[in-house]
Amino acid sequence: MNTNKFKQLFSQYKILALLVAIALIWAFFSWKTDGDFTTARNISNLMRQMSITGILACGMVFIIIAGEIDLSVGSLLGLLGGAAALLDVNQHASLAVTIGTVLAFGLAVGLFNGFLTAYAGIPSFIVGLGGMLAYRGVLLGATGGQTIAPVSDDLIVLGQGYLAPSFGTALGLVLFVLAGVLTWQQRRSLAQHQLPVRPLWFDGLRVLFLGAIVALFVHLFNSYEGIPYPVLLLLVLLGVFSYIATQTVFGRRIYAVGSNMEATRLSGVNVRAVKLWIFGLMGLMCALGGLINTARLAAGSPSAGTAGELDVIAACFIGGTSMRGGAGTVHGALIGALVMASLDNGMSMLDVDAYWQMIVKGLILTFAVWVDVATRTGRR
Amino acid sequence: MSEYLFEMRHIVKRFDGVPALDGIDLKIKPGECIGLCGENGAGKSTLMKVLSAVYPHGTWDGEIVWEGQPLRAQSIRETEEAGIIIIHQELMLVPELSVAENIFLGNELRLPGGRMNYPAMNRRAEELLRELKLPDVNVVLPVKNYGGGHQQLIEIAKALNKQAKLLILDEPSASLTAAETDVLLEIVRGLKAKGVACVYISHKLEEVAAICDTVVVIRDGKHIATTPMQQMQVNTIIAQMVGREMSQMYPQLPHAIGEVVMEARAVTCYDVDQPARKRVDQVSFQLRRGEILGIAGLVGAGRTELVSALFGAYAGTSEGEVWLEGRRVDNGTPLRAIRNGFALVPEDRKQHGIVRDLSVGANITLSVLQRYTRMTRIDGGAEMAAIQEQIERLALKTASPGLPITALSGGNQQKAVLAKMLLTQPKVLILDEPTRGVDVGAKYEIYKLMLELAAQGVAILMVSSELPEVLGVSDRVLVMGEGRLRGDFVNEGLTQEKLLAAAIGQEQHGTR
Repeated sequence: MNTNKFKQLFSQYKILALLVAIALIWAFFSWKTDGDFTTARNISNLMRQMSITGILACGMVFIIIAGEIDLSVGSLLGLLGGAAALLDVNQHASLAVTIGTVLAFGLAVGLFNGFLTAYAGIPSFIVGLGGMLAYRGVLLGATGGQTIAPVSDDLIVLGQGYLAPSFGTALGLVLFVLAGVLTWQQRRSLAQHQLPVRPLWFDGLRVLFLGAIVALFVHLFNSYEGIPYPVLLLLVLLGVFSYIATQTVFGRRIYAVGSNMEATRLSGVNVRAVKLWIFGLMGLMCALGGLINTARLAAGSPSAGTAGELDVIAACFIGGTSMRGGAGTVHGALIGALVMASLDNGMSMLDVDAYWQMIVKGLILTFAVWVDVATRTGRR
Repeated sequence: MSEYLFEMRHIVKRFDGVPALDGIDLKIKPGECIGLCGENGAGKSTLMKVLSAVYPHGTWDGEIVWEGQPLRAQSIRETEEAGIIIIHQELMLVPELSVAENIFLGNELRLPGGRMNYPAMNRRAEELLRELKLPDVNVVLPVKNYGGGHQQLIEIAKALNKQAKLLILDEPSASLTAAETDVLLEIVRGLKAKGVACVYISHKLEEVAAICDTVVVIRDGKHIATTPMQQMQVNTIIAQMVGREMSQMYPQLPHAIGEVVMEARAVTCYDVDQPARKRVDQVSFQLRRGEILGIAGLVGAGRTELVSALFGAYAGTSEGEVWLEGRRVDNGTPLRAIRNGFALVPEDRKQHGIVRDLSVGANITLSVLQRYTRMTRIDGGAEMAAIQEQIERLALKTASPGLPITALSGGNQQKAVLAKMLLTQPKVLILDEPTRGVDVGAKYEIYKLMLELAAQGVAILMVSSELPEVLGVSDRVLVMGEGRLRGDFVNEGLTQEKLLAAAIGQEQHGTR
């Protein structure tokens, strides 16, 4: 009975547990690096590193919720980043043309993946595996295996620019107010439908806690250079994807398809179209990730994004996305991405050997999913 | 030693503090058959899980005495060794393994070196199936080659193979035809004669009456009565189960039957795996406004295939025309069928009806969610209002629409699936085994709803394997056998015998 109660509490506050885990990881690295890890500069850098995994995780979490998987995202990110570099360096295309073309290209490839999975009936694992090889091959062919540089300054700003501190403060305030309004709306709608409402002090504390975190981050970013553009983009995506997941018909259908595809189909939902567009979104995210990656490195590298799909998928699972589909959240996946990025960054600072980094990340992923499985209540 | 093989004393099982079982007593003598009756959610399955140690000793209060000794089993393995064998409501067969392999799964006969002793297992499996009057089953073929009814009997063979002293049958006849059920009852009688005790759980009270010596009724986790069968009648069992007198099993409501709404012309379905084989062969019929048309037939007669094809949900290839209100319609996919005014409540609720990870409310609005959007956003208030309306209309019992659908009993899950389909405002409502695994009270409510819908002009097509149900609610009955239409009867003076005779093919065509 008692363990059950504990399990219930734990799964209810899983996100909180993940945040505590991040705090522990940060405290550990901070201690080991004599505080270098938690300097404003490094946190800013860490968040920028994390943003690319995070952008892909936004798309991937929908794919996993829908009961599919996409292994091609690392290669596709490389290919689209390479395309951006080629357009920028060789064709001298304007920033708008580069972005537009790469996004369209990404969407097209994503839809192609989706078509193969949803309409041609090829398991997404195989489509992803094939894409992983083929897209990397196209990239190597197109770039001749060479790094494409130097990228124009316009493009570089995307990856290396910062939002002016005053804007950052304003954004923080907007977010705080938004959290308050959303919580209030949720309380009202719960009360309206005679559903149990959490105590006021609890929600109040929650909003204040969120506000404190936002304030802390804005302060950290501002005391370096401001909020990095990639992090800003990630924030926007977090909002958009959470909105899709919780507020739209399309979002509800993603969960339904992943939970029971046949019942959803018999309910008159075009399940193939749902899957097609999820992969389309994934392609778009690969395009954004590729653009940011090229901008951040100031070059198109033929090896960009190698093994990136593993980090992304790991981030989703660490963030509590269900392996059999049907459950998961966008913010969970992003916190998972933050865990992975923190480990990467911290271990690099400590000069941990690359092989140890891989071992640690592997263990953390396995451990996180074990905790998830072990604390799941109400097995069939 | 006491005269009882087995006693359960004052069993209490709580889930999160809420008692699911509240002081149940159960005693069985060797060779006795006890009918365990109760509505869905009354606690029958929970009680059997306590008994078979699915819930190990210590997770519940009370005492179990087995052959005079306290039984404190920690796992199913221990209870099986003691001789308590349970046949679950849901099939627990591995589809890819052969019939014999399934029967011996977990206690395979071995040759030296750990090799499987196939000849001995196959021989024993054949013997068992012959006892169950299933000689046409080839024990070396995979189980998936056989239909639901056969699989259920294979499951029973598996249990018989384990030398049970106490056999628990949980809804064993849910997917059996009348003839197969008779064989099953005969087997149980044979076991009783050999001194095996049985607990028979079934919603089909006629079977309970036919076979059981004692009837135990539980309701809301409490023991209501233990009575010898001679002093009981089906009506009194029902009254004890629901706690009130149920004057009629089938409600009556006059409803006018109008013009032809839907017409199926020469519908043919081909088997998914063997495209040459016809599962449904040139079936044509008409359905009128406000009419409840029952489709009876043996399991495997092609009824589910037929209605799936009408709804665009058949997995294999199918041919034929569907006409609605004088126009030919294209029901190529479920989505198109729904847009054309068709709705289907499928037979397999778990696989095809409910979406497990969604709430009760989200399940109900799944088909028509786009109706409650403003711009792209779901209007939570409008959606909730629609959900509440459906919950009230169907008397769906749920603490909150936000609960996971899996928290509901089978009957209420079925109501949620029904609500989902009713929101699409169908002209033709297809119900495939609408009351399977549904308790008596919820059954009555579903029948009542069907009649109300018919009175509003909805045309209803109901596939059912329960003949009393077909006779109880239908205006007209089609009988199918081996994929063909074998009879079309107006439901006046119709009897189960007539329907059965037509299904088996003794009577080629019924009266119109």
